[in-house]
Amino acid sequence: MTAYVIRRLLLMIPTFIGILIINFAVLRLQGPTLVDQMQAGVGKGGGEGGPGERKAQGAAKDVENYIDRFRRSGLDLPALVNVRGFTGRDEVVARLRDSAGDGPNRERPSVRNGIEKNLWLGGPQLVEPLLAVVADDSLATLHAPAVLALTYCAYVTVTARDLARMPAERLNQIQERNERLRNDRIRYTNTAKGFATVDSEAAAKRADLLALFAIPGTQAEFTAARATRWSDALLRTGFCDFMAKLFTAQLYSESRKDYVFSVIADRWYVTFWLNTISIVIAWAGSILLGIRSARRSGSLEDRVTTSGLFLAWSMPSMFFGTLLLYYFCTDTSGSKAWFPNRGLSSDGSMWLPTGEYLLDLLWHAFLPLVVLSYNSFTALSRYMRANLLEQLDADYVRSARAKGCDDDAVVYRHAVGNSLITMITLGGGLLADLFSGALIVELIFSIPGLGWLMLDAAIQSDGPLLMGSTVITVSLLLMGILISDLLYAVVDPRIRGRYA
Amino acid sequence: MLAVIVLTGIYAPFLSNEVALVWWDQDGLRFPLIWDLFNRRIYEKIYDVYFNVLALLLPILAVVFAVLGRRIGVTGRLKIGVASLALIGTFCLLPVFPGHGARVAVWDHRPFTASGIQEWSALPEAKRPFAVFTPVKHRFDATYPGAILQSPGTINPVTGGHYWLGTDAGGHDVLTHLFFGARISLTVGLVAAGLSFLIGLVVGAVSGYFGGWVDLVLQRIVEIMMCFPTFILILTVVAMYSRDIFFIMAVIGLTSWAGTARLVRGEFLAHAVRDYVTAVEALGLPRWRIMFRHILPNAIAPLLISLTFGIAGSVGAESALAFVGLGDPTAPSWGVLLEQGRENIRYPWLIYTPGLAIFTIVMTLNLLGNNLREAIDPKQRQ
Repeated sequence: MTAYVIRRLLLMIPTFIGILIINFAVLRLQGPTLVDQMQAGVGKGGGEGGPGERKAQGAAKDVENYIDRFRRSGLDLPALVNVRGFTGRDEVVARLRDSAGDGPNRERPSVRNGIEKNLWLGGPQLVEPLLAVVADDSLATLHAPAVLALTYCAYVTVTARDLARMPAERLNQIQERNERLRNDRIRYTNTAKGFATVDSEAAAKRADLLALFAIPGTQAEFTAARATRWSDALLRTGFCDFMAKLFTAQLYSESRKDYVFSVIADRWYVTFWLNTISIVIAWAGSILLGIRSARRSGSLEDRVTTSGLFLAWSMPSMFFGTLLLYYFCTDTSGSKAWFPNRGLSSDGSMWLPTGEYLLDLLWHAFLPLVVLSYNSFTALSRYMRANLLEQLDADYVRSARAKGCDDDAVVYRHAVGNSLITMITLGGGLLADLFSGALIVELIFSIPGLGWLMLDAAIQSDGPLLMGSTVITVSLLLMGILISDLLYAVVDPRIRGRYA
Repeated sequence: MLAVIVLTGIYAPFLSNEVALVWWDQDGLRFPLIWDLFNRRIYEKIYDVYFNVLALLLPILAVVFAVLGRRIGVTGRLKIGVASLALIGTFCLLPVFPGHGARVAVWDHRPFTASGIQEWSALPEAKRPFAVFTPVKHRFDATYPGAILQSPGTINPVTGGHYWLGTDAGGHDVLTHLFFGARISLTVGLVAAGLSFLIGLVVGAVSGYFGGWVDLVLQRIVEIMMCFPTFILILTVVAMYSRDIFFIMAVIGLTSWAGTARLVRGEFLAHAVRDYVTAVEALGLPRWRIMFRHILPNAIAPLLISLTFGIAGSVGAESALAFVGLGDPTAPSWGVLLEQGRENIRYPWLIYTPGLAIFTIVMTLNLLGNNLREAIDPKQRQ
């Protein structure tokens, strides 16, 4: 039995990882790309007007803010494999040439712009090759974009955790360098792009920048970042970064201004309990109804039940739910609604005594539970009936009857157990639908659960929150499947025998 | 029932339109609606054009079948039918329809439309045209002044037509919405389910026929797709990228093939060891030919059942997507209407109309699937 459980658990690992990868891929292929967002940000900063210097300062700050944001959420990292550590001087030169309008993308300004901005996001790993370009006197035409990219790549993002952990001395050093880089960037771009046209000034600033990297330790710091290229290629990727944050509960939701798991912690149990209770209701109800219907096969009652179930099965739960909401939860001019139309508890219900509190909860949860259990109930009842009928036709049932068992014993002791085996297999497959159904039910009855949260996150394009809630949902789902596997082993003696 | 829905979808512009069907004045007899069908400014979506062309071609096809019926037999009819459908498809993709300025000509001068009623009813008797209009006098993409959340039976002062099923929160006629929504549901059902069926077919066939490690890897992938709450994946993708209706169809198709793949695999596993397969293998035919020309026809029956349920599932998924507020805002689907019903809960016609429509199409497809299953597998009949 233990071997069976372990085997099942191991089989779940690739499934879980596969789901993570698919989800991550979906999140990373997001519509408005990084570069577009950055451009929007830069344009906004530049549009404020004012004298050149202040304008440039604003724009530079904006880009920095964007780079900060992207680095914090790991969006500046390549999705699965990070090859930046392998970028050599020649490749950087080729890309700089291309972005400066002297390469294959000469006719496509937007692509050139994109290449330039992607260079800005290269991070510490691009510092060394870029520095080589800036130091090379023969590449004077590329100095302007190279310096710009260099000042962004060497710019180190300081996170809240760094503030807490890093020694003050090192922190000062980094912040000072960031400040100097920013100033260099502003002055240099101004000079190079024509705010001041004195060549000697540009040269002086370039010397200034080079002097910054001549400070002992600075260059070594960035060379070290390049030295770990192999491990970086596989570990400093968007995926690993994201997963690391996910498993250390560091994912941060931009739209909720809170850590993802603390948002989920307030909500997951709502969905969990709703689903669990509805599973119990649906199973109990459908098994009883299925047995009753199958034993009266062919009678009027059976025919009515079967066609009723067929109709109910075809009825989308969103229609059913909305109808219930309309008839039972809406105040009309004549009377007050029977059931509340939102939430899971009344205002101030937490001050009620336990009994009344539970009643209040039940009052709120009743209709959602009905809608939620209804879909699996109809499907399961149909399966149960069909399956039990098949079993009752089987040879072993005839033998049991021949042996002299009475009808109840034949059905309950022999046939039902066997049809439960099939039911559990099918029930496991229905679990995924249940979670999708929960989303719709939570939306209809305004219940603050996981599904609603996920919907919100999807609409606001909040990747981390979406990922977090999907992971929780999938975990609950896999747990459900594991339980159904266990039940399978309980009902089916063959499995117990194989792993005994 | 299914035929009614299909015909409603195809003939939606003939059921609900502002443009006159027949227009007879001193300039002569005209059929403005027919010309209007090809106006890409109004029928922006490609499926609309497809259905419009189909609406015109269907009677011709029917006549051809009636005349040639005996001579060409069932296969011939099928061939002609499929060929003409494909022909319309390619025809629709060609940029042959008037797109520029046509709408100005028809709408802004409004000579042939119901919304010009006040203008031409003021004309003297002799000059007044004789016009035949469609049963519902509303355009599917129009919002009429003062038409927000009107109850059924209200008269539209602009065209003089009734809102038989009321109007929605955006000022559209619900009945018109219902007619044109049929087009979307049908398109979604066919395209999405067809796509998922094709993917499932290929994956399942390869997995079942080749076996070994290919099977193992593909089964893992299928299992991942089975475990994934598909609706959540569809929701994420659609929310993050695009809400275009064709994108939604593609996403539904790409995410819901796991069940079909598993079924096809089972069928192929069972057939791969049969004698006839060994025979064609001995003949040295290429593998794809064995898989798709020899095994597939023998295994197709249960797959058709799954296709039927797949169509129902895709229609449901699209409606659910629209219901949670992620539908295509430019496509008048039934789910969008139901979402409005949920938001404006006091207006039952916004709940019943789309709800019953979705219910009907899903139920009909399920019924079809059930009957197919019983026809193919008599053991199930109880």
